[in-house]
Amino acid sequence: MLPRAEIAHWLFAAGFLFFALVLLAEAIVGPDVFRRRPWRAHLWPSLLLFGGLWLWVIAIFSTFSTLHLLAHAVWAQAATAAGAVQLAVVRGRLVSSYWSLVIAAGLVVSGASFLIHEQNGWLFARSAFLHHTIGWTMVIAAIFPVGAAFRPRRSVWAYGFAAAWIAVSVMLFSDRDVAPIFGHLSELAGGVPVP
Amino acid sequence: MRRALLAALLVALVVPGVAAAHATLLRATPAEQGRVEVAPTEIRLAFDQSVTAPPDAIVVLAADGRRLSGTVSQSARGTVIQTPVDGLVRREAYTVRWREVSADGHVGTGVFTFGVGVDPPPPTEAVGASGMTWRDDVARWALFASLALLVGVVGIRLLVLPRTVDPRVERRVHLLGVLGAVAAVNAGIVGFVIRSANALQVSGVDLLYADLSPFAESTRFGTAFLVTTLGFGACLTILAVAWVLDRPGLRWPAFLLALALVWSYPLSGHQATEPNASLVGQVADWVHLVTAMLWVGGVLTLAVVVWPLAPDLRRTAFLRFSRIAIGLVAALVVAGTVVAIERLPAVSDLWETSYGQILLAKIALVLLALAWGGIHHTFVRPRLERGERTPGVGRSLLGESAVAMAVLLAAAVLVNGAPPPVESDAGEAAPTRTAPG
Repeated sequence: MLPRAEIAHWLFAAGFLFFALVLLAEAIVGPDVFRRRPWRAHLWPSLLLFGGLWLWVIAIFSTFSTLHLLAHAVWAQAATAAGAVQLAVVRGRLVSSYWSLVIAAGLVVSGASFLIHEQNGWLFARSAFLHHTIGWTMVIAAIFPVGAAFRPRRSVWAYGFAAAWIAVSVMLFSDRDVAPIFGHLSELAGGVPVP
Repeated sequence: MRRALLAALLVALVVPGVAAAHATLLRATPAEQGRVEVAPTEIRLAFDQSVTAPPDAIVVLAADGRRLSGTVSQSARGTVIQTPVDGLVRREAYTVRWREVSADGHVGTGVFTFGVGVDPPPPTEAVGASGMTWRDDVARWALFASLALLVGVVGIRLLVLPRTVDPRVERRVHLLGVLGAVAAVNAGIVGFVIRSANALQVSGVDLLYADLSPFAESTRFGTAFLVTTLGFGACLTILAVAWVLDRPGLRWPAFLLALALVWSYPLSGHQATEPNASLVGQVADWVHLVTAMLWVGGVLTLAVVVWPLAPDLRRTAFLRFSRIAIGLVAALVVAGTVVAIERLPAVSDLWETSYGQILLAKIALVLLALAWGGIHHTFVRPRLERGERTPGVGRSLLGESAVAMAVLLAAAVLVNGAPPPVESDAGEAAPTRTAPG
């Protein structure tokens, strides 16, 4: 019944990559040009909002530990909240640039959940290393929406936000249930003992 | 200071933590919640990583609490632990409680049952599992209160209030609906974890690393939890889209989905698990729940949405809700009576059993709420119809809402309680179930 974790990771990696490329395109051409066609403006907030729905699907497959169940539930709610708020900003229901702080909060909460739910150390295996790295990437990436809240005209925040999601998607694509990291795999995870 | 923070951040990122493992149970022999025809002589648990087995790593218990397992041993790689078992007989079910210490020091725990020649009971009925506690009651109450927002407030907006209302009313209904969906999904998760913890007999950090999958996959309440978690997540998304697009009509699919999801509670509670369970009882339970949510939601809508935000809407909203409230209360009482008759075989059970006594307390609270509503109907409604001022009604509605919340608390305690034994089809008194599986 339980799909392999890496299959879910790769599916989300593909989604995040598309999401990141949309963000990058908007950063390169600028919001004015990008949003000439209204549907484009709705694209990445909608991806985030409906990504939250998919995360509920993953959550109900994550009952093998309480911590995993709670972490996926947190991600689902963070994605839904961030997507809905950004969509409301795009449609003009919310006007203040400070609403991007919701995205920052979502990133911090999601990153913290990544760090807390990974029960192994950094070099235990590749998946553990990547969970730690993704967690810290998300926490640090929160600086970009915070910057956008206080200095909305500077494009560096948009580039940084897009780059962070590209990094997350690459890390998720590299994630496998049992695989070495830097040539090392813990014996406890099935690695060969060093003679 | 800034440089010090940056340096600390870099150190945290660069320095790897100690490589330590946390194990997950891959498979058990006999299988979790499995049925075998020949009594096993050994119980084996295979993990995805090496574990350390404490002396009580695997404990196998008969239904009467006798311990049947011996000394635990491990495979060479440490990923498999096993124990010999002796004295297992056919047509009996057994409980396996396991603990392992992962390399990261966390204690992983789990419990499951298996049957020899019989279907095993759900893990919630494992030997040593405790019954419901006040925590279960609080979680259930939170669930009912959140459903009053999701089903009640959203439903009353759709069914009672005019199509076009003040934008502030619309915003608050959006807020309460979304709040209800968020609360429903989280109360469901908390309730599921607490219920599992009762059977696992763990708490604190150990609970965070406990295996909940037998409860999710092999119990009725686990199935209900999975369905409602996904469903209320979908309700949340739909309500968020309705708010973003400013399309109140989009609340309809969320409302209808929530109504359907409420059906999972009769299907996972006493109405489905007791020996005399019937479809009529389940339908009555669903009607009872839905009408109660709409009634409580209606009072809440008047108290916290219409009265403080839209004086122009008070008369219309109150009169319209008054009209449907009579039908709601009638359906509520009839459905509740059907459920009570099914759960309480003798009238004396009402005062002789704790379940009956809680039901009496709930009925008393319902009567208080009905009387309060009756006063509104008798004295406030005519004044509103004549267009007269009605000072103090807002506060009175808040009071009625508080009583309604107390009714929901009593309902939560009742749902988690153990009804008196009922006659099974074979004519024997079936044992009381404290925790419908």
